[in-house]
Amino acid sequence: MSTHVAQQPASRHKLVALAGNPNTGKTTLFNALTGYRCRVGNYPGVTVDTRSGQIRSEYGLTPLTLLDLPGTYSLAAHSADEAIVLDALLGELADVDVPDVIVIVIDATNPRANLFLVSQILELNRPTVIALNMVDLAQRSRVHVDAERLSLRLGCPVIPIVATKQKGLALLCQAIDEAVESPSVSMGLDWPYPVMSAVESMHDGLAPVANGKDRSAFNAELLQTLLGDGGYHEQRWGMRCGEDFRSLLREQRKAVVDNGYSLASIEGDVRYAWIDRLIAETVKRDEGRPTGTAKADQILTHRVLGLAILAILMGACFQSIYAWSTPIMDAVDSAIAAGGEMVSAWLPVGPLQSLIVDGAIAGVGAVLVFLPQIVILFLFLAVMEDCGYMSRAAFLLDRWMGLIGLGGKSFIPLLSSFACAVPGILATRTIGDRRARIVTMLIAPLMSCSARLPVYMLFIGAFVPDSQLLGGVIGLQALVLLAMYMVGTVVAILVAMLAKRTILKGDPQPFLMEMPPYRWPKVRTVFHRAYEQAREFCVSAGTIIFAVTVVVWALGYYPHAESIAIAHEAQRQEIVSAHGAAVSQIEQANDIAEDGNTVALDELDLQMNTQLYRIDQDEAGEYLRQSVLGRMGRWIEPVVAPLGWDWRMGTAVLAAFPAREVMIATMGTIYNLGENVDEQSVGLREKLRSSRHPNGQPIYNLPVALSIMVFFALCCQCGGTLAAIKRETRSWRWPIFTFVYMTTLAYLGAWVTFVVASRLFV
Amino acid sequence: MVSQGGRSLRQLRVGDSAYVSAIDNHRTGAKRLADLGFVDGASITMVRCGKPCIVRIDDRLVGLGLGHQEVILLSAASGL
Repeated sequence: MSTHVAQQPASRHKLVALAGNPNTGKTTLFNALTGYRCRVGNYPGVTVDTRSGQIRSEYGLTPLTLLDLPGTYSLAAHSADEAIVLDALLGELADVDVPDVIVIVIDATNPRANLFLVSQILELNRPTVIALNMVDLAQRSRVHVDAERLSLRLGCPVIPIVATKQKGLALLCQAIDEAVESPSVSMGLDWPYPVMSAVESMHDGLAPVANGKDRSAFNAELLQTLLGDGGYHEQRWGMRCGEDFRSLLREQRKAVVDNGYSLASIEGDVRYAWIDRLIAETVKRDEGRPTGTAKADQILTHRVLGLAILAILMGACFQSIYAWSTPIMDAVDSAIAAGGEMVSAWLPVGPLQSLIVDGAIAGVGAVLVFLPQIVILFLFLAVMEDCGYMSRAAFLLDRWMGLIGLGGKSFIPLLSSFACAVPGILATRTIGDRRARIVTMLIAPLMSCSARLPVYMLFIGAFVPDSQLLGGVIGLQALVLLAMYMVGTVVAILVAMLAKRTILKGDPQPFLMEMPPYRWPKVRTVFHRAYEQAREFCVSAGTIIFAVTVVVWALGYYPHAESIAIAHEAQRQEIVSAHGAAVSQIEQANDIAEDGNTVALDELDLQMNTQLYRIDQDEAGEYLRQSVLGRMGRWIEPVVAPLGWDWRMGTAVLAAFPAREVMIATMGTIYNLGENVDEQSVGLREKLRSSRHPNGQPIYNLPVALSIMVFFALCCQCGGTLAAIKRETRSWRWPIFTFVYMTTLAYLGAWVTFVVASRLFV
Repeated sequence: MVSQGGRSLRQLRVGDSAYVSAIDNHRTGAKRLADLGFVDGASITMVRCGKPCIVRIDDRLVGLGLGHQEVILLSAASGL
């Protein structure tokens, strides 16, 4: 997920924008220069938003703010993330000034492809520095770029660097520092007269609304508007100036076409002709033998083998979540239980003890138990992202995604949504087709995110037998977990098919994606990604979940009527008195043998303790039933009863609508409040297994567990996701639609699951 | 293997190389492809056939869906 790391300060820090093709190492360079640890990955579209940070003092002679931009092949924006780039370079992004210097990061292994964007940016006539990245890989690939000569030809510094090894960064920063004060770069391409004439006419027509823009930058923008038929720039000017602009644009495009030029290819023809001359002078290349990437692609992009490997990778991921995490999970569980017992022993019985033990420790602790699974899931995703496999997976699945009206590009946002739907929704910015993008956003929350994993783990661990299938290759529990992930995926497919045939009709755009070279995942990057996610999970447990837990505890604790305590205390007194009387009677009996006397006394003690324990249980249950939470729960019980749930589960689900991970914490709190303090050492899983209706029937069994899991698989219990959809679509219509359709599906799915499973398994 | 003149991208086999002779300007995505380097005279090599396919252009591997494959027109590629 890309985030705005730091706001650009209002004071006079010079602004340096980092631009370049996708996958050229911009974010790696940003991290190296600023000391931030923003997410990097080996596939196009990792950065879809801007972020800024201060260049570290050891590099910057003057204070500089660095602005990292999404990767783009061209300033002619074809998707939302690309549209941000030209806006940022022109200073049209909210809260971001016009950059003082533009640093273009280019991949030294493939300069020709990168120089297209360079030629576009140089036309903006801004101070520019080229960072020639990955010169070590270029050397290995026998590509030799003459940086000095290239610098002379481009009219701006070209600095060879290796961002991953932080090589050449001091020189780069020195060049940036000098460029801040140096005159703007000026370059000219051989544009045909009709094109330049059309741009000038548009300039004259739009000058009154240009707000004093720099002439070169404005002309560069108008060139992209003229040639980018139906693109983002055209849409923006259309919104700003209406029909006057549209008729001017139509007229100028017609003039270009009437002169025998193609709007689609003229820019490519002009720029690549210039680039080829430049390459001939500055780049030498030795033909090499087939690379490791080519060999790996023989297998990994194979139609059958490749898909089989993808399926095996996914299966291995789910199996390892179970196999590797269980021992760690048990250890965390025990530590939390021991912590609860220790605090109980220190604090006197009362609201404070209950708040800390039943609320904070039981609630937040119940969530933290699932940290190991989250880490393992993210380690898998990080390896796939960093080695370059994600684009291949998108490639393999394009044909299959086409069956549901989407393209392979939708795959990466959807796969990201298995971690969290919010970055998944942001990642849809790389999808150029608006309808396909909205459909992808609508179904992204159906991918089982990591917040659902604890719910699955809790109920599968408690109610699905731990048996092995296929001779021990895969466990039944892992298979049910995989099935839960499949529920969301299958429903997403159906929803996408329906949406593409009804409300968002339209043919999908053809697949177009760069396949980056494979590389070994960097241990640091992979572990950093897992660490970041674990940290986010813990922060969420310590803030939102903790806050909700306290509220749930308060609702479940109060009013804590004294009459209940008085009534139960009276019962206790009665039992203790009766016990005292019985003991005296036995002790006074002289004709009973000493041994027999002791046995009888022990039996009396046991009987009394059992009775007292039941009274404690009754009292705790009575408190909970009479609490605000208990009353609310009974109020919603008729709604959730058809799903097989009792009022506690209904309440936990209700509390989990803002954020689904709250559910486990709520259950932990409810079950601790409703039970004797002595039983705190028993994990939530055991409590669910042993909880009974008043008639002795178990509250939870396999059908109920499946019903709960299906509900969670399909329900949109995430405020962050809905806010992200609102932000990306700029409308409340789609988040409301998402919430309504998912909640309805979740309820119906849970009901059908409960009914069918009850017939099959009970 | 060297491609024969007038073939479309769909007719190339794995390992075949060819020059781009033109792109069909009337098709969606033509500008996008031109920006990526699919311009007159660019040499491409087929890496993985099918829908989508993977081609090498410069040192870049690009996955292309059927719609884009039909936009790219190829010429004879002597010398490749």
